Amino acid sequence: MIEKNNKKTIILWAGLAVILLLIPMFVTKPYFLHVIIMCLLWAYLATSWNIIGGFAGQLSLGHGIYTAVGAYVTVMLFNTLGLSPWLGMFIAGAVAVLISLVIGFPTFGLRGAYYALATVAISEGVIVLINSIGDVGKFHVGGAEGLILKTVGNSWAAFQFSSKVPYYYIILILLVLGIIAAKKIKDSRLGYYLVALREDEDAAAAIGINVRNNKLIAGAISAFMTALGGVFYAMLIRYLEPNAVAGAVSMSTQMVFMTIVGGAGTVFGPVIGGILLSLVSEFIRFYLGGQLMGLHLFVYGLIVLIIIIKQPSGIIALFDKLKERLSREQH
Amino acid sequence: MQNTLLELQDLTVRFGGLCAVNKLNMKVNTGEAVGLIGPNGAGKTTAFNLVVGVYKPSEGKVIFDNEDITGLPPNEICKKGIGRTFQVVKPFGKMTVLQNIMAGAFVNTAKTQEARQIASEVMEKMGLQSKRDKLAASLTIPERKRLEMAKALATRPKLMLLDEVLAGLNPTEIQDAVLLIKSMIKDGVTILMIEHVLQATMAICERIVVLNYGQKLAEGTPEQVTGNEEVIKAYLGDDYA
Amino acid sequence: MGFLSVVANGLSMGAIYGLIALGLTLIFGIMRIINFAQGALLMLSMMVSYWLWAATGINPYILVIIVGPIMFAVGYICERCLIKPVLDEQKDVREPVAVLLLTAALAIVLENAALMVFGADYVMAKTSFSTSTIALGPVTVSAARFYGLIIALLAAGIFYLFLHRTQVGCNIRATGQDRNAAALMGIDVPKTYAIAFGIGTALLSVAAVVLIPFYYVHPSVGAVFMTKAFIVVVLGGLGSIPGAVLGGVIIGLIESIGAQYMAATLTAMLVYLVFLLVLFVKPTGIFGSPYDW
Ligand SMILES: Nc1ncnc2c1ncn2[C@@H]1O[C@H](COP(=O)(O)OP(=O)(O)O)[C@@H](O)[C@H]1O
Ligand SMILES: [Mg+2]
Repeated sequence: MIEKNNKKTIILWAGLAVILLLIPMFVTKPYFLHVIIMCLLWAYLATSWNIIGGFAGQLSLGHGIYTAVGAYVTVMLFNTLGLSPWLGMFIAGAVAVLISLVIGFPTFGLRGAYYALATVAISEGVIVLINSIGDVGKFHVGGAEGLILKTVGNSWAAFQFSSKVPYYYIILILLVLGIIAAKKIKDSRLGYYLVALREDEDAAAAIGINVRNNKLIAGAISAFMTALGGVFYAMLIRYLEPNAVAGAVSMSTQMVFMTIVGGAGTVFGPVIGGILLSLVSEFIRFYLGGQLMGLHLFVYGLIVLIIIIKQPSGIIALFDKLKERLSREQH
Repeated sequence: MQNTLLELQDLTVRFGGLCAVNKLNMKVNTGEAVGLIGPNGAGKTTAFNLVVGVYKPSEGKVIFDNEDITGLPPNEICKKGIGRTFQVVKPFGKMTVLQNIMAGAFVNTAKTQEARQIASEVMEKMGLQSKRDKLAASLTIPERKRLEMAKALATRPKLMLLDEVLAGLNPTEIQDAVLLIKSMIKDGVTILMIEHVLQATMAICERIVVLNYGQKLAEGTPEQVTGNEEVIKAYLGDDYA
Repeated sequence: MGFLSVVANGLSMGAIYGLIALGLTLIFGIMRIINFAQGALLMLSMMVSYWLWAATGINPYILVIIVGPIMFAVGYICERCLIKPVLDEQKDVREPVAVLLLTAALAIVLENAALMVFGADYVMAKTSFSTSTIALGPVTVSAARFYGLIIALLAAGIFYLFLHRTQVGCNIRATGQDRNAAALMGIDVPKTYAIAFGIGTALLSVAAVVLIPFYYVHPSVGAVFMTKAFIVVVLGGLGSIPGAVLGGVIIGLIESIGAQYMAATLTAMLVYLVFLLVLFVKPTGIFGSPYDW
């Protein structure tokens, strides 16, 4: 019985892998491939947010800070020093980790709401900051005008490609690594500790869990992963507009929406939510974008609203219910 | 030769004007089972919270295993070897029973496999194996109380602080729980328990400390304590003494 | 402008921030929900007030007797129809994140609905006192801002009395302290939630009518005020009424005084810097306690 199920899942996964690997062969229009790439990027970002927001239940509403840090640091290092983004991303990741510790240190000792409010305020501060800084020493930041990535043509070292296909495989790998990381964390001591402290901090401390440190670790991992997503965004879009890279509506809140809609605290919930909502958003933009101002975001908000009301514990809960029913029918 | 495991020296805490625990001195020896009783609001739970570091004492010391642990945070105190249950149980609702217990077992190992092993043993001992994959939020009150003990037990404590684990159980459930606690003692865990159910306390504990208004009122064997006039006064009022 | 006038302007803006933060703190204190629609609901109040003023020409301050009940109803209905179902489904979840996201989605819907209906125009209620000034001894202040300060403080005071002197107010506070105990005492907790949400929203109508004579209304005006309200709430201490007012005044003063000596963006940064500083020195805010919530 278990044998058969195992075989079935392996076949299912293998099939999925083949499809994912072959997608660029069938999707040849750059626009459609771009849409798919964005879906995977959002799935990855939601997966990153989920580590601190879902597993540990610490509501960060400022993860745009980390995408911005990833994007800006990497592009600045590349534009000015010519440092390869493949190296720059680790420096960017380290900066993101540092920032996550600065935000987490004073707030993680307190109850949840302080952290949530602090992340909102600090991310707004970061947006104001980016918008107002033209240059830092010899590094160009660009202020409100934004920052353009220096293009050098097709080059692996520079993380720049003339075709969308390499971007597709890179984000696919990043997403798979992200999912594996999430799964590993969930099954490890850290994962158990995060869920425990999310459920009850006092009870968690009573069984030896250092609540603040574990939150800080989760926050740092999440920040690092998110920053890598920011790096990818910068390389793909090649133009950093402060409000798009760091903004609440365009970045921070999106990651949260997607995770909650998919199912916070699960491994695959954020992936489902990320893909679904970015498809919905793209679809609406495609059909309603040029029309009445505000219409497409209005519809998008409405759809999110309805999903949350109908399915507050996330879409993945539907699958669980389905699985339960199937197994009940088998017995 | 008796070995002191826990010693409270002049332990005191004030909340504003209220002195919830007042110059409490007591000892618990290794291998012993000691009861802590007293009327509601006497400061029993607060005394526990002082021992495990939820509150910092205003005065006094907590000595555990010949080490001054006063003022350490709760997670450090757990690692020193003190487990505790909460009077108002605190299960991790969205985790299964096994996962709840595993969270406790991780104090002693970083390996998930080992933690599962430890947790499974504890789960069996506590008679929770049939609930293994149930979410803790779905358990009944007696089951939650047992889970509370199981979580603490999985940290492999030398000393276990039990806060009213029998309250709210019916007579058969109490009997079962008493057997569980006795088996813990047999496994070498020292017990300090707060309890209102006196018969059960007397069945488990060889020594009882009575607390009233934050102060120690009496101490002795169950017979000595229940015969003590002061104690009867505290429980039933002056007219009965 | 003399220094004292600058201070006066800062005070009045600060009192308005405080008023907006008050609604936030109330809803959070009772329901443990950070209401992300607070800014959008403020925008809605301002829009409604502006259009009522434009249609009738009545003094905006008087309009509060119409806008107030409208906004109370809006808040009450939002709670009953949108928030309650999710809150009920998630009642065994420690932090109702889904509800919070619901309010964020509501904010997006409201803002874009306003964009669709009213367009992206900036409008202001140009009343007789919009541009006039009042001389208070050596200090000259903008009349609209001065009235705003008085009305905002008055509203905060009335709100405080309401919470402490009326039965409904006591029910609200009791529910905030312990919802289970409150339910056992015979308080209708779901209804109290809806009322609290309604009142938190109605407070915005006061902020709205005092703002429109001197502050431009547009669909995204709420975002500006909401971030400020968040900062104010953390600064003053979550759940504290005096904290909200004091926090608001601090932010208002920093902004108005800062604007005299440095560029606008630097002033904005200063606000965030002060916020960070408070977070490190006294993370629970001026009047907050870490265990209250
Ligand atoms: N955190 C606290 N702040 C203020 N008073 C407290 C606190 N914790 C307990 N108390 C008070 O201390 C006294 C003892 O309480 P407790 O230890 O819970 O009694 P019990 O013996 O029934 O367990 C009570 O009067 C209680 O109200
Ligand atoms: Mg007690």
